[in-house]
Amino acid sequence: MKPGYEGPAIDAVGLVKEFERGRRTTWQRVRRQADQRERFRAVDGIDLRVERGEIFGVLGPNGAGKTTTMKMLATLLEPTAGTARILGYDVVHEARDVRRRMGAVLSDGRSLYWKLTARENLEYFAALYHVPPREQAARIAAALQAVKLDDRSDDYVERYSTGMRQRLVLARALLPDPELMLLDEPTVGLDPQSSRDLRDRVRDLQAQGRTVLLTTHYMEEADQLCDRIAIVDHGHVVALDTPTGLKRTIAATEVVHLEIASSPADAALLSRLEQTAGSVARHERENGDLQVTVHVRSARDFVPVAFDAAREENAAIKHVEVVPVTLEDVFISLTGRALRE
Amino acid sequence: MTASPATFSATTPSRWDDLRADLRAFGAAGVKEWRLLRRYPSLFIGFLFWPIALPLAYVFQAQGYSGGQPAALDAFAQRTGTAEVAGFLFLGWAAYMWISMILWGPGTSLRTEQVRGSLEALFMTPVSRMVILFGPVVSQIVWAIWMFAVVGGVLVLFFRVPIGPIEAIRALGVILVAVPALYGLGALFAAVVLRFGEVSAMVQTVRGVFTVFCGMTFPIIILPVWAKAVALSLPPTYLIGDLRAVLLQGSDFVSLVPELAILATMGLVLCGFAIVAFRRTERFARRGGSLAQY
Repeated sequence: MKPGYEGPAIDAVGLVKEFERGRRTTWQRVRRQADQRERFRAVDGIDLRVERGEIFGVLGPNGAGKTTTMKMLATLLEPTAGTARILGYDVVHEARDVRRRMGAVLSDGRSLYWKLTARENLEYFAALYHVPPREQAARIAAALQAVKLDDRSDDYVERYSTGMRQRLVLARALLPDPELMLLDEPTVGLDPQSSRDLRDRVRDLQAQGRTVLLTTHYMEEADQLCDRIAIVDHGHVVALDTPTGLKRTIAATEVVHLEIASSPADAALLSRLEQTAGSVARHERENGDLQVTVHVRSARDFVPVAFDAAREENAAIKHVEVVPVTLEDVFISLTGRALRE
Repeated sequence: MTASPATFSATTPSRWDDLRADLRAFGAAGVKEWRLLRRYPSLFIGFLFWPIALPLAYVFQAQGYSGGQPAALDAFAQRTGTAEVAGFLFLGWAAYMWISMILWGPGTSLRTEQVRGSLEALFMTPVSRMVILFGPVVSQIVWAIWMFAVVGGVLVLFFRVPIGPIEAIRALGVILVAVPALYGLGALFAAVVLRFGEVSAMVQTVRGVFTVFCGMTFPIIILPVWAKAVALSLPPTYLIGDLRAVLLQGSDFVSLVPELAILATMGLVLCGFAIVAFRRTERFARRGGSLAQY
């Protein structure tokens, strides 16, 4: 923390990152032809204020701008516009001070040296993080213990499972004893047991007083872990609240998924369901059947009416599933798309 | 939300503490590379074989061309200032192999980290970029010492070249003066890696230029005037020439001061240029996101 600084752990204002799409060949340069590359905004004016000690989630589909945002905060990318301060330090002009105070997991186990042991990997990175030599052994031991790898510390990383490697990447990020941790999709590619394990480690980080900013496209993960969540889409924050607060934004308590056999009058049926239920969140054709997601206050009241409406429109409901409202539904109601799309 | 009043280790250190920490990291990078090398023991055989085999082929070639005639040897001595054909060729090749290591070293190391996926992890640490650039090359100093020791041993034991401790110390001095210029060139190639993601074509070209102009296997006196001017603008020419002077012609350091001063000046200019180029390309990479692209 910057001396005298009392503000939030992360304070980003109007963060923008533009990239170029397409290519400009050497021949085009030599001939001084006009640059026809298109500029696009991966992040388009994101504001984030993450308070100290909280687990803050950034939830969004692939390509929403989550990783680009993380890389700007991690000093790996320079913002095109806007400012970001980490613990009071500017990510562009005080990048080295930011790096001293931040641990980041932005990559998978590939970023480790597989022909070294876990301990040898951590010894190298401890030196790069400027850990004082007299503290190095203790820090490495603590990091290995924190991710439950202390009994395998002298094995080559190439003999680790994917989940163990991901935990070692987390251990590496703990070496500077950081006040802030950035975790970019930390559980991608892990089996359920390893994911659960890693989520437990993230909760431990918060218990130690650290601030955690994590991105994910797994809504359950965001729901279970985060104190607050920003939902991002197309480089914008489209909603920001606690998980409960976000779920409250849609006027429903339950979600009904209907699978309806081919009907000649989809539009009429959907219109009737809309009138009955209040909100048809999503509909699409899949294998000839109509898949409809409806937000309702009471599934018990809605389902019989839906069957009546289908019968009157000469359609047949093949399958009904009732589930509680999730962050996925919030995302669908905000963007009209599912997170996985 | 848990907001416990935890305390964390990070502080902003003094410049001196930062420098000391960077030097420790420099050593750690060398240890890491050395550990990785040890996992591939077959590499050691190559390093034992090449410093002897490659120059030896040229020694045989020279003997074949001259037919061992005194007139040919006299002509050689007149042009080179020494009658030690084997010494001349072995030193030229040893210097060439060392130069190749340094030219390839930083760029290849960055490229390897980029392809492996560890470059971003390195750039997220507070360590100086010079450590990331040159730290892994530290381990190659062991190979360089090994190579020069092997070459020296072969020359003394098999070719009876009179190299004593004084000559060896003078040669070490020449090598140290050449280090900034060669590492500066290596850093320039590393900047090319960050900018374009590929360096081998350029390294091969520059190595070819060095082979043709810097007198690895021949005295530069035989070159045409224009080519001699090119040779005198390249740092390896001075390294190779001065190594031969102290080891084969018995020259002392004082007589080489003008040439060593040129070499040292080239080193300062190249290092300054390399630092600026590397900073600019790092900025370019941070703007375009090319650290993780390969």
